[in-house]
This record gives sequence, C-alpha cells and structure tokens, in this order.
Amino acid sequence: MRLSLVFSLLFLNFLSNAQELKYNSLFINKVLTENANAVVRLDQLDIEILSQQKMIVKNKQVITVLNKLGNRNARNGLGYDSSKKIKSMNIVVYDAVGNEIEKIKKKDFKDVSAVDGFSLYIDYRKLYYNYTPISYPYTIEFNYEYETSDTGSIPSWYFLSGFTVSVEKSHYSIVYADAGQKPVIYEKNLESLEFDKKETNNSITYTAHTIPAMKREGMSPSFQKISPKLMARIPNFHYKGFDASISNWKDMGSWVDNNLLSGRDELSPQTVAKAKALVLGVDNDLEKAKIIYKYVQDNTRYISVQIGIGGLQPISAIEVDKVKYGDCKGLSNYTKALLKEVGVVSYYAVVEAGGDKVDFEDDFADLAQGNHIILAIPYNETYYWVDCTSQILPFGYVGTFTDDRKVMIVKPDGGEIVTTTAYINEDNYQSIKASYELKPDGSISGDTHLVTKGSQYNAHFRLKEKTDEDIIKQFKSRWSSINNLTIVNYSFDNNKNDVVFTENIDLNATNYASLSGDRILFTANAFNNQSIVPDRYRNRKLPFEIQRGFLDEDEFTIQLPENYTIEAIPNAKKIENEFGLYTVSFEHNPDNNSIQYKRSFLLKKGYYPKEKYKEYRNFRKEIASVDNAQIVLLKK
Amino acid sequence: MIQLRAAVLLVLLAISFSGKAQDFKFGKVSKEELQETYNPSDSSAAATVLYRNKSIRFNYNQSMGFSVSTYVFERIKIYDKEGFDYATVSQSLYKNNNDVESISGLKAYTYILENGKVEKNKMEKSAVFTLELNKYRNQQKFTLPKIKEGCVIEYEYKITSPFYYSIDEIALQYDIPIKKQEISIATPEYFSFKANMKGYLNVNPKYGVKSGKIDFTNKSRNNGGWGVTSTTYSNQSIEYKVNTSEYNMTDVPALKEEPFVNDMNNYRSSINYELQYTRFPQQLQENYATTWESVIKKIYESESFGAQLKSSKYFKDDLETLQIATSSPIELMGAIFSHVQGRMNWNNIYGYYVDKGVKTAYKEQTGNIADINLMLTAMLQEAGLCASPVLVSTRSHGVPLSPTREGFNYVIASVEIDGNLILLDATNKYTRPNLLPTRALNWFGKKIQKDGSIVSVNLFPKNLSEERVQLSVDLKENGSITGKVRHANVDYNAYLFRNKYTNSVEDDYLEKLENKNNGMEISDYTIKNKGSIGKPVLESYSFSLDNQADVVGDKIYFSPLFHLAMKENPFKLEEREYPIDFSFPWREKYTVNITIPEGYEITSLPASANMTMVDKIGGFQYQVLDNGTAVQLRVDVKINQAVISANYYNGLKELFKNIVEKQTEKVVLSKITSNGTTESSGKGR
Repeated sequence: MRLSLVFSLLFLNFLSNAQELKYNSLFINKVLTENANAVVRLDQLDIEILSQQKMIVKNKQVITVLNKLGNRNARNGLGYDSSKKIKSMNIVVYDAVGNEIEKIKKKDFKDVSAVDGFSLYIDYRKLYYNYTPISYPYTIEFNYEYETSDTGSIPSWYFLSGFTVSVEKSHYSIVYADAGQKPVIYEKNLESLEFDKKETNNSITYTAHTIPAMKREGMSPSFQKISPKLMARIPNFHYKGFDASISNWKDMGSWVDNNLLSGRDELSPQTVAKAKALVLGVDNDLEKAKIIYKYVQDNTRYISVQIGIGGLQPISAIEVDKVKYGDCKGLSNYTKALLKEVGVVSYYAVVEAGGDKVDFEDDFADLAQGNHIILAIPYNETYYWVDCTSQILPFGYVGTFTDDRKVMIVKPDGGEIVTTTAYINEDNYQSIKASYELKPDGSISGDTHLVTKGSQYNAHFRLKEKTDEDIIKQFKSRWSSINNLTIVNYSFDNNKNDVVFTENIDLNATNYASLSGDRILFTANAFNNQSIVPDRYRNRKLPFEIQRGFLDEDEFTIQLPENYTIEAIPNAKKIENEFGLYTVSFEHNPDNNSIQYKRSFLLKKGYYPKEKYKEYRNFRKEIASVDNAQIVLLKK
Repeated sequence: MIQLRAAVLLVLLAISFSGKAQDFKFGKVSKEELQETYNPSDSSAAATVLYRNKSIRFNYNQSMGFSVSTYVFERIKIYDKEGFDYATVSQSLYKNNNDVESISGLKAYTYILENGKVEKNKMEKSAVFTLELNKYRNQQKFTLPKIKEGCVIEYEYKITSPFYYSIDEIALQYDIPIKKQEISIATPEYFSFKANMKGYLNVNPKYGVKSGKIDFTNKSRNNGGWGVTSTTYSNQSIEYKVNTSEYNMTDVPALKEEPFVNDMNNYRSSINYELQYTRFPQQLQENYATTWESVIKKIYESESFGAQLKSSKYFKDDLETLQIATSSPIELMGAIFSHVQGRMNWNNIYGYYVDKGVKTAYKEQTGNIADINLMLTAMLQEAGLCASPVLVSTRSHGVPLSPTREGFNYVIASVEIDGNLILLDATNKYTRPNLLPTRALNWFGKKIQKDGSIVSVNLFPKNLSEERVQLSVDLKENGSITGKVRHANVDYNAYLFRNKYTNSVEDDYLEKLENKNNGMEISDYTIKNKGSIGKPVLESYSFSLDNQADVVGDKIYFSPLFHLAMKENPFKLEEREYPIDFSFPWREKYTVNITIPEGYEITSLPASANMTMVDKIGGFQYQVLDNGTAVQLRVDVKINQAVISANYYNGLKELFKNIVEKQTEKVVLSKITSNGTTESSGKGR
C-alpha cells in the first residue's frame, strides 16, 4: 500500500515534469526538423455534433517555429460570421526550453473585417493576434472553441498543413449525439500515411504520428492534390438557415435547386420581351445561347457581395437585371434565367476554379467543394461551358480557370458530376511566322505573325483589352531577350467564333547580333526562345506534372546582310522522347541570301514519377541550348 | 427700394455666374460626354475624371465645437472594361472611441446613352456598404448600377469629421487623367494650417480671405434685487476671418508606374495640410508646428519621446556589465549597440513615438522603432557618450520638404565620437554602426541634440557598396566550363544578402544559387563571415556549367563573362519622369581568368571600353587581355549616387545599353591547324 503510494507520487512528479518539458524544442526528432521551418507538435481538432443545428469545434495547435520562415505556419487567428460564435481563444508562447513567456487572452486579439481583396462587401470577420518572436526556436500554442449552427461545414482535416512543416501528432475526432448524425468520412491520399483510426458507437477518431515535412519543388502537383486529407459530412445537416439531407451529388443538386435556386430566375416582363427580341428569327438553340451570352457580357460586370447564405445562394435574376452586376452565382443564375425565357436549357455548375485542375470527388458530396459557378449548356450530346463573370471570354471557352476537371451540374432531377472541356497538347497551339532582316550593324527589323489557340489563346487574347502602353510593355517582356526592342506597329484579330487570336507585330531592334571584328553572331530563333530550364534539385522527392501540354510551330525567314558569308550554321536536330517532340532546321538559300528557320516543339501532358525529372530537365536543357545556337557570318 | 434692387441684382449675378459653370453641376451630364469614345489627350486611358470638386469647410456647433466637412463630387467617364473598377468607390472613415467620421448626402447616378437618349440610373441604398475594418477605421464602399463601356458616373457625398486638427492628404493626381478639378479649402483664422505640396505637377493655388460668423446664444442668470432671479438669453455673434485656397486645374495627367521607383505614391502630386497652431479668442496660442525647431520641440516634449530618454534604471545592470568589458568610447558604443540589437526584436510597427514604452519593451524584448532606438539612445547617453535621436522619414513615407510632424515616421540613434557622427539603428539584426536599414536611407534626418538644437544629417550612404567576383575558368572544347568562384558582398550588399539568406538552410540556398546561375553544379561551397556583421560576406565554390560557348566548326565563341554577363537592359521605356532609385551607391567588379582549351588560339577579342556618365553619375570599364593560352577580363561598373534625377535617364539607359552590349560580346577561338602548331611551337623553341 505504502509502496504504491510512493510510486504513484513519483509517477505524478514525473508526469508534471514531463508536462513542463513537453514544449521543449531542443530535442525534437530529427526526422521532423528536416526540410521544416516549423514543427506541429500537436494539432488536435475535436468536433462535437450535438444536433443537426449545433456543433462545437475545439482546436488546440502547438507549433514550434524553427526559424523566421516558419512564422507563417504558426496559426494566429480564426474567421467567423454571424452563425459562428467564438467562445474562447488564447495563445501561449513558450521559449526554446519550454518556459512560458507570454499569454494572450481573447480580449487582446484584433477584430477585423476579413477583406478578401475583391469583394465589395463580405460579412466574414477575423480575430487574430500578431506575435513578434524574440528568438528561435519558440513554441506557440493556439486554442480556440466555437459553436455554430452550420453542421454542413464540418472542418476538413489536413494532417499536414503545407510544405516545409512537419507534424509530431495529429488528432481529429468527431463525437456525435446519436447514430443518425454519424458522419461519412472521406479519406484522401492516406495510402502513404500511417495512422490510427478508432470508432465507437458515438465517435470516430484519427491519430497520426511523426509526419515528415515535404519540400516545395517546381512542377510538382499542387499540395492539395498529394497531401493526406479527411472530409466529413453528416447525412442530415444545417447550413445558414437551411436544412439538408444529402448522401450523394444527386441529392446535393436537388438541394441546391430546391433551396437556393428555385424562384430566383424570375424576370420582369420588359426584360423577357427584350430577351425574346434579341433572338427573334433565330431557331438554333446554340445560336440563341451565343446571343444571350453576348448580351450578358456587354451589359453586366462582376461585383462580389457575400452576406450569410449569399456565399451559396445567388442574388435573384430580377435584382441583377436592375443593377447589371453580380458575382459568379448571380450572373450565372441571371444568364440561366434569360436562356430559359428564350427556350434554351442550361445548368448551374459548381466548380473548383483555378490554374491547378482540382476535381470534385465522385463519391463524396459536400458543400466545401467548389469555389465558382459557371453554366453548362447541353447541345448535341455535349456541353458548352460559359463563364458569366467574364466580359471577354468567347462563348463555350473556359480558359485555364475551369478547364478539364470534374464539376457538379444542377439538373432538374438532381446533381451530376461532369468533366469540363479539356485543352490538351496540340489543342494549345501557337504559330509564329516571321521574316526579319539582319543588318551589318547587328540590328534587325521585321514583322511577326502570331497565332494562338486553346490554352495559349487564354494567355494572349486579353492583350486586346489593354492600353497601348501596357501592350508595348508586354511585348517587351515577352521578348525580353531582345534588347533595345522597338515596336513599330501592331494589330490584333480576335476570332471569338473559332477561338483564335492573331497578332501582327512590326518591330526592330538595334544590337540584336553581337559583332566581333569581321564576324556577326546571332541567334536564328529570335521570337520563341525557350531559354528557361527547369530548376535542378539535388534530391527530388515529388512527382511532376505537365498539366496541359502545347504545340509551338515557328517559321522565320532571315534576310542576311550583303557581303557576308556564312561561317558557321547549326545542324538540323530532332529530339523525341516520352515528353514530346522537338525539331529544328536551318536552310540557307544562296539565291536570295536568306536562311529559312523552322522549329516545332510538342510538349505532352503527363504525370511522371520523380525519377524521370532529370531526364525531363535534360530534354529542356538541350532545347534551350539548340534554341540559343548561333549563326556566324564572316565579312567577305 | 434701391437697396432691394441691389440685392436682386446680386442674386441674379450669382445665378448667372453659376449658370456659366453649369456643365459641372451635379446631374447635368451631356450627350457629348456620353458620346466620347476616348480621351483625346490620353488615348490609353481606360477612364477619365471629367470633373472633380472637393471642398473642405470648418463648421461650428455650440455643443460640439468645430468640425470639418468635406464635400466630394466626381464625374467620371468610363471608356472601356478596364475602367469598370472606377465605378466602385471606397472612402475611409476614421474613428477613435466616440469620435467618428460619417458620410451623409450620398447620391450616385450612372448615365448611359440608350437609343440616342440619355438614361439616368440611380444607385439604390442596397449598393452601399460599411465595413468595420478595425478599431480605428471604417470603410464606406459603394458601386454604381448599369455600368457599361462609354457610361458616365457621378457621385457626391459629404464627410463630417470631428478631427479638425488633421486634414487628410488631398491627392491632385489619380491613376487616370483628370480633365478639370476644383479643390478648395477654407480655414477659420483660429486654425493656422500649412500647405505642403508634393509631386511633379505645376500647381498654382489662389489664396483669398473671406469672413465667417459664429452665432452664440448666451444664457445668463440675473440676481435682481428683492430676491428675484431671472434667466436672460442673449444672442451674440463673433465674426472671424476665413483663409481660402483654391486649386483649379485642368488636364491633369495620369500617374504612371515606372521601374526602379520605391513607391509611386511618393511621386503623386498632392497637398497636405498640417495644423501649425490654434489660437481661439481669449485663449493662448497652442502650437502644433511651424519651424523645424517647433515641430521637433513638440515631438521632443512628448511623453512618448523625450521622457523615454530619461529613465535608465531598467538597463542599469546590463550597462554596467558592458562598461566593464570595454575601454574606448568606440568599443563601448559598439557593445551597447550589439546588446540592444541582439536583445530587441522589431514588431514591424513604425513610428517616432514609443508603442509600449522603453521599459516594457526592454523587458519583453520586442518593440516598435521608437521603443528600440530611443532605448539605444538612452543607454548610450547614460554611458556618457554624446548620443542623440535622429528623426527620419522612411523611403516609403516620402521626403519631408517642410517642417511637419507627419513628415517623420521613424527615429534612429546617433553618437558623436571625436568629431565623427555615427548613425545607429538596432531594429534589424544585420545593421551595424553607420549602416542603416535600407528603409531609413532617405535624404536628411533631423538630429535633436541635448540642448534642443537641431542639426540636419545626410542619411544617404556615401560609400559605394561593392560586389566583387573573381572567376577562374577552364573552358572545355565542348563549350562547357568548370572553375572556381570567389564572391564578396560588401556593406549594403552584405546587408541584403544576410537579410535574405541567413535564415535559409544551406542546401536550399545552394539550390537557389545553382538555379539562378542557369543550373550550374556547385561543390566545395564555403561561406565566411555570415554572422560577422562588420565584415563582407565571402563565398567561394567550385562549379561546372554546360553550354557556355558556341562550338561551331573549328571555332569557339563565348562571352568572357559567361553566365554573369548582364543580358538585358533593365531600362526599357523610352522616357522617364521620376528619379531612378537604387537605394545606395554601388560598384560591381569582376575579374575573370579563362584558360582556353588546348589546341586553340585566340582569333579575336572584344575591344576594351571605358565609359563615364556626365557629372560622374556612373561609369563602366571593360578590359580584356590575352596572353596566348589565357584570356583575362576586368569589368568595373559604378553607380555613384543612390537616387538619380530623371534628367539623367537617357544617359543611364545608354550606359546600361553599352554594358549589355560589351558584356555579351564574344571572344573567338580557332583550332590551331597542324601547320600553325608547328609554326607557333617552332617560335617557342
């Protein structure tokens, strides 16, 4: 009896010592500090679902910041709105050995509007505190608890929060009041993660230990795509005043249709008449859709206002019609309403927009997926996609913002996952035809004729909307390797029907070639010089991805100066491998003393393991070298 | 009767006067304005302010005292989609406890031409939002309805502010052109404001004097005889002078972005009204600012500044330790500086007034600029050194041209030892005596000496900060190179290097370095003096790099500076309006020794060159020597001034053009024919 008391006292003593030392940052496992600017000692999220309309979320995050760059990993705030009540929040800071050095209470946090930089108004706010570190490493503990009625927004879980941060312990738990609230949990990229999963009759818990940091590497897939993640949904949830019962995308689509869209497509009789007048005499649905889309583009603009359910629900079509502005939801819904009046069917489509292609998960439906709305117009067994927030995109063209990814379309009988238009390899086309004259003083003058299609169109057609000054600036940066460039003249043609953009540019540049005594040296490839070689990594860890691919074809006629002979000219070259095909040729035509330069470069879309990276880099290196190959002329 | 007639006449005159200006009356948008498709004086403008009126008036209210009201009216033509952003307006409103700025009388309309008729669309209340940005700032935002290309928008509103002692800076120039603007400000004689002008526009204000009147109702209680009290009210009025300034301008060009500018807003033409003193009837004059002396006196007398220099108890023990360990004043200064620099951590807040106070800051080891540098000054003074604070305006804050409190936003320390003034700033971990953070390098600071006198101190560094590169290269027959690099970053180059890289892991840094140099492979990397702030950062390494020469036939062509050659002229625009800001004067020196591949001889070398800009602004030297089997190159580029006036733009552009041209010029090698070999080796024997 006595012994055990002593023992337990000892044990307690040991425990409390351990408690004191637990945030010591000097003995962190080396596996965790490698490639890391910060180590998450503990990230624990406890979610309690009390009813369909009540959820409590508690988070404790303890992060040891190893250096200045790790500061951004130390979370220091939380966003909230009227349906999310922050009940407690505090920060405790510990020095390197684990002594507490500062404590910040909720009242010391700053309360600010969570301005997003583009919305006219947003009702989201943020509580945060900026801690100034006095030495490294230090440990910051951030605790908060909030209560919300939005059980439709159960926080997702990233075991790792980003690149260059590691995790010692990650813990995610959901406790639910009754079996009816048992969440469906979707596991993503968990294959390479060691974790513990425990289920009881009213809880689910995930725990993982010792996750090393990943380093950011060029061309790697987005962090979101490769990192382990959990998403959760309860079958019957509540969101901003609406109840929902959802088990798949079909249900989600119906819910959106019935609650968020229904009745919002009414228009005034005058506007209906106007829409009908616009398509008068047009029978073809696609033609009608083009006319309506153009009308919307010419008469509206994008303005974002986010209040309450406004984050999900569009402003009514009648309101948009009045002020002629709206956000993606409002403008899409307005266009859909106009199309309906002229007898054209279109579907509201929820998409995760961005340069990185992110798919909707086929077998897991929730409200967290998607950040943008576009319209799908079914015609002849295919869908035409339109983005109503743009005043300049061609009809049916979605650029690189929403291309080639799975999205949810809202059909009358429910939601459906569909893939948007893809632009792959040859689709993304650029041709440059040019002829230029090289003069004995090293200057060049000539004209270029550029044609772009597919995703390359996207990168060029906006030029037409720019001011003269910006256009000149863009040409100068496009051809930044040509010093002393002067743009003499330019003209554009934007063929929106076929989605082809044409640029005609007359230019000249002094000192293009370098002179060396009796010699003139110059690069034949003046206008499509791919001198950028992908970064080299001493020890690459991640796979790499070419998301879209492209095909470039170039043909330049170079008029040589009189009284010079060609001393040296590069050989024709062909490089072919799994990444693509590159060919180049130089042909001298003595009759008119000119060189015909032809180049073609096909880069293929693909997803490659890290082992292939070196080979890919060598491919690009070789291309860069051939692109820069010099022709040498010698004075007769 | 005659009097009455005169009054009518006056009224009529007034009407006809305003009638003449009726084009710019709110609501009177003309068809011509709607039909215009581009701005004739700036065809690239996406939008243009057709008319702008801003008038600032002082009001008096018996219960509230003085307040400032600002009337804003703008009429803007939107030519194309790029100009749609101007249809959304945001106005900052300040607040401090119960004192809040407010907006009233907001009206806004969009005008479009619909079938040849002017259609007027009113903005609804639902398009107006107030955001509570933080404790001190609200933002009122609104957006106009039915915006399309070619439309004209108009809005007017009034801001009422209780903060009569501070008037927001008035911009005279926008990012789009302004066709006509009328800006006026009227201040009662009780307030003496000084107008500080900034920017590159010609501004000719018109000054005048008017009269104003305040009506009071006085309540007084009379104790009459026989125990009767009565209250009487009397109306009184005070007449006073009102000083007016008007800024009427036409065709104000848009402010356009240029490279090598530290902050475009520094070049935007604007007026800033600063309160110098108030003098109310029967009250003493209260000074806010007039001369540098009084501005600085005011700052110095504040609890948050001068008083902070007086206490010494909090650092006493630490100071004693430092004093014991040092012998000379210079050493002592260095020790105190390092102590404060090492102990303190800047919280990214600017200001010449302390944030939490030196004592608390010292204890917590963090603070704003004033917390840290005033504490440093106090320690230096306590140690018996002749130390004084120096008020500074940072580079992003602009240049204080005339005495104002708002002209400063920063403070550093200074020490005078043996007649030399040494400037100190302990808010960055990599500064040292006489090397301030680049943010503080801005024209002149004002040193406040113990006796209250003020001395101007030039903040621009005079020394050229050097970057020295020594390269020894073995050129291979296949065009690749291997070699050794010794790279020295001195003074500001070392400061920038340390701020950027000291935190990164060496492997990551090397990867960056390799990729910056076209993917070279680096080995045997060493770095010296990474943490020894007084010394240059010295790096050395071996490297190999492919494709550095063109091998064509039996010839090899290469630029003798290889990957280090400047290939692009940073100055691309034809003209420039604003000064070119390099932060500090600098010098780049390259020494390259190239061993050519065996069996080759040098056929041609670039000619040496030497160029100096007028007024010794900058210069460039390029010298190539040949000793048969090796090429030796020396390159020296100098920019002798931190900030260079736009007058020198063409010269500077020409200098860089020459640098690029020369640095990319090629050396030509040819294979020695068997014939040649015999000949030359024959000669050697």
